[in-house]
Amino acid sequence: MSAVDPNLQAAPSSGLGVQSSAKPVAAAVELAPGSPSDVDLMLGIQSGDADALSQLYDRYNGIVKALILRIIHNDTEADDLLQEVFMEIWNQAKNFSAEKGKPLGWMVTLARRRAIDALRRKQAYSRAEERLQAEPEQQPLAWVQNVTENEIRAGDTRVLMAKVISSLPEAQQQVIELAFFQGMSQREIASQTNIPLGTVKTRLELGLKKIYDGLKELKDEL
Amino acid sequence: MSFEEFQNCARLYVIGALEPEELQAFEAARKQYGSAAEDFINQCYGLHEAFALSLKPAKASAAIKDKLMSMVRERGQGQSGSAPAKH
Repeated sequence: MSAVDPNLQAAPSSGLGVQSSAKPVAAAVELAPGSPSDVDLMLGIQSGDADALSQLYDRYNGIVKALILRIIHNDTEADDLLQEVFMEIWNQAKNFSAEKGKPLGWMVTLARRRAIDALRRKQAYSRAEERLQAEPEQQPLAWVQNVTENEIRAGDTRVLMAKVISSLPEAQQQVIELAFFQGMSQREIASQTNIPLGTVKTRLELGLKKIYDGLKELKDEL
Repeated sequence: MSFEEFQNCARLYVIGALEPEELQAFEAARKQYGSAAEDFINQCYGLHEAFALSLKPAKASAAIKDKLMSMVRERGQGQSGSAPAKH
C-alpha cells in the first residue's frame, strides 16, 4: 500500500473543509465582467444559438485540446477530435443538465471518452502496446510536468489543481495516469506494471480521494 | 458495503476503472444509498474536470473553429448519432 502523502495530510491548514452547496462554484477560467456563465452558454446552445457555442469554444478549446492531446499524443488528431467534441456538444446539448454537474465536467467527460476510443482504435491498428508498456517508466509524472513555477499566480485554478495532483506519491500518480489518461482497467494496470491487483486498487482509491478532496477545497476557496 | 467503501468505488466508477465483478456490488450499494449515492456520483464526475484543469491549455489550429462553426451553421442541431456523455 502506498504511503499517504504528508503534504496533503497537512492541507486542512490551507482551508480544506466540507464544501457547502450554497457556495459559488469555482470558475475554471477567468471571465470578463458581464460575460455569460458556462451554464448560460449551454442554455444558449440548447436553444440552437451558434454564437453560444462559439463563445464556449473560445473559453475551453485549450483545456479540452490539452486533455485530448494528453491521451492521444498527436496534434493533428487532437485537432480533429477537438472539432468532433464540440460538434457533439452542439448536437447533444439537450442531454446536459446543470443540476447534475458543471458544463466543463460534462465536456471533459465527453472529450475523454472520445479520445480514449480513438486511442484504442489506434492501438488496434498499430499495436502500440509496446509504446504503452514503456510509458510508465518514461513519464510517470508527465501530466503535471507542464506546470512551471513562473506560471504560478494566486488563484490560478490550473496550477492549484496541478499542485494537488503532483503532491501525490509517484506510485499513485502512475496508476491514476494509466487509468484516467489511458483508460486502463485495474487488471490492465496490474499486468502492465507488474503491481499486484490489490495494490493497484488501493493506490487508485487513495490517489483519487486526495484529488477529489483537493478539488472540493479549491471550490471552497474560489 | 459501507458508504465510505461506496465512495471509494464511485471514484473508480466515474473514470471507468471498476472491474466487472465489482460493478454488481457497487450497483447494489448505489440502490441502497439512493439519492445520497447519486449526489456523490455526480460530484465525482468533477474528477474529470480536475484532471483537465491540471493540464496546460493547448493551442488548437485556427482552422478548427472555422470548420466547426461552418458545420454547425450548415447542419443545424441534433444530427449526430453519438451517444450522450454521462455526467
